[in-house]
Amino acid sequence: MTAPNSADPDRGSAAPLVSLDDVHYAVDGRAIFDGLALTIAPRAVTAIMGPSGVGKTTLLRLITGQLRADRGSIVVGGLDLRHAQRAQLYALRRRMGMLFQNGALLTDLDVYENVAYPLREHTRLPEPLIARVVLTKLQAVGLRGAARLMPGQLSGGMGRRVALARAIVMDPELLIYDEPFAGLDPIALGVVLRLIRRLNDLLGITSVVVSHDVREIALLADAAYLLSGGRVVAAGSMDALRNNQAPEVRQFMGGQADGPVPFHYPAPDYAHQLLDEELPV
Amino acid sequence: MSLARELRDNGALLLANLGRFTLFSGRLVARVPSALRHPRLIVNQVYNTGALSLVIIMLSGLFVGMVLALTGVDLLQRFGSEEEVGAVAAVALVKELGPVVTALLFAGRAGTAVTSEIGLMKATDQLAALQMMAVDPMERICAPRLLGGVIAMPLLAAIFSVVGLVGAYLIAVRVLHVDPGQFWSELKDAMRSRYVREGIWKSCAFGLACSAIAVYQGYVAQATPEGVGRATTRTVVTSSVAVLVLDYIVTAVLL
Repeated sequence: MTAPNSADPDRGSAAPLVSLDDVHYAVDGRAIFDGLALTIAPRAVTAIMGPSGVGKTTLLRLITGQLRADRGSIVVGGLDLRHAQRAQLYALRRRMGMLFQNGALLTDLDVYENVAYPLREHTRLPEPLIARVVLTKLQAVGLRGAARLMPGQLSGGMGRRVALARAIVMDPELLIYDEPFAGLDPIALGVVLRLIRRLNDLLGITSVVVSHDVREIALLADAAYLLSGGRVVAAGSMDALRNNQAPEVRQFMGGQADGPVPFHYPAPDYAHQLLDEELPV
Repeated sequence: MSLARELRDNGALLLANLGRFTLFSGRLVARVPSALRHPRLIVNQVYNTGALSLVIIMLSGLFVGMVLALTGVDLLQRFGSEEEVGAVAAVALVKELGPVVTALLFAGRAGTAVTSEIGLMKATDQLAALQMMAVDPMERICAPRLLGGVIAMPLLAAIFSVVGLVGAYLIAVRVLHVDPGQFWSELKDAMRSRYVREGIWKSCAFGLACSAIAVYQGYVAQATPEGVGRATTRTVVTSSVAVLVLDYIVTAVLL
């Protein structure tokens, strides 16, 4: 695997492909993002990390225009999503690929048709060429032999690998991965890690990886953002994050239960609750 | 006081839901022209909502027709005009029972299937995945289901009425010994093109309403197993009420 932070001298120096500035977003009055600002450099693998529930998936939905920010600016590929029309948004999405956390394969189509779907929708390629492209992508994720299986016949990890093949079938400029390592066995994990890196380096794709798997991200990311409390609390290379002495960063990178980010959901006193005869819950 | 507040709150909620449904239906109808460019998707939906409902529609139509004949002959015998049963069955089936009962069965079978399918697609991020592939789910998923229902409903209602007439014939003529010639001639005399037109208008309106409600409930369903379950229940309840209300409105307008 190509080492992060080393392959491309231009990486990170060009204008950012994705830029968020002072983004505010709330759900039912609860602030998810409160002045979030970050940039994604082109042709780099950028990791978005943070504890569960911090809004990592929401951030991806904001970047892809599936959600609209309450306030602040989100610019992707030169398009300001605040003022984007539906047609512009769909044109932008043709340049993107997204790997969903659960794969999100279309359950009425088999593996082959799932991967071929974007090609059939957006191109007029002849069938033999579609077949070659689809088989090439399925070979890359090791599932060429599963082409005629239905999504219900796949394991969770296999489903996500098919979804990855579908995400790359249009050769997108920006690839977004939502928790790509969850549920993968070590062999598939290694393959996916190498594949993300290879796609990035060979095709010049910009990758955004949302994950809380620090070990895997360390092998892959050129730059990382750590989110907490609706803001970026640390940013930089993985080495910079590891050496960061801020308590929130140390707690997350070290996987400690005690720290500024509470592990326990707010609750009454533990001993009092256990000793109380009526055991209120 | 609390009852008044509850009534006010529920009224406001109902209006808000009606407003949301109306806006959604507007967006849905706006996607119909582009959905027409994918006739295979529409044919699939006519098959899913129509052909797969045939058995339940035919079986129900047969028994409704049989009950109409039994009750009709019993009542008409008192006036010595049991041969009129063909006319009674035909008018009742074509004008009223065919469209209404078909729509209620449609809501229970095809409507719930559409709602749960779209709801599960939402819960498993398939709708979001389509959006991310620059494919509009309103155009590819919702509009074809709307059109499928609108096309299938009048056909199902016609089949329901025809099978109902066969059921009425079997009971009236074969079991209760009404003269077959009189059965058919009274039926023919009583039928007016106005009744057929009314039946067609009603089934088209019911098809539109039931399909739009089923699609809407699936699309706005909470993305959880409980949420999808609740949405399918709402589809049946809302569609049934909508069919009965629309039945009155269309009847009053076409009178």
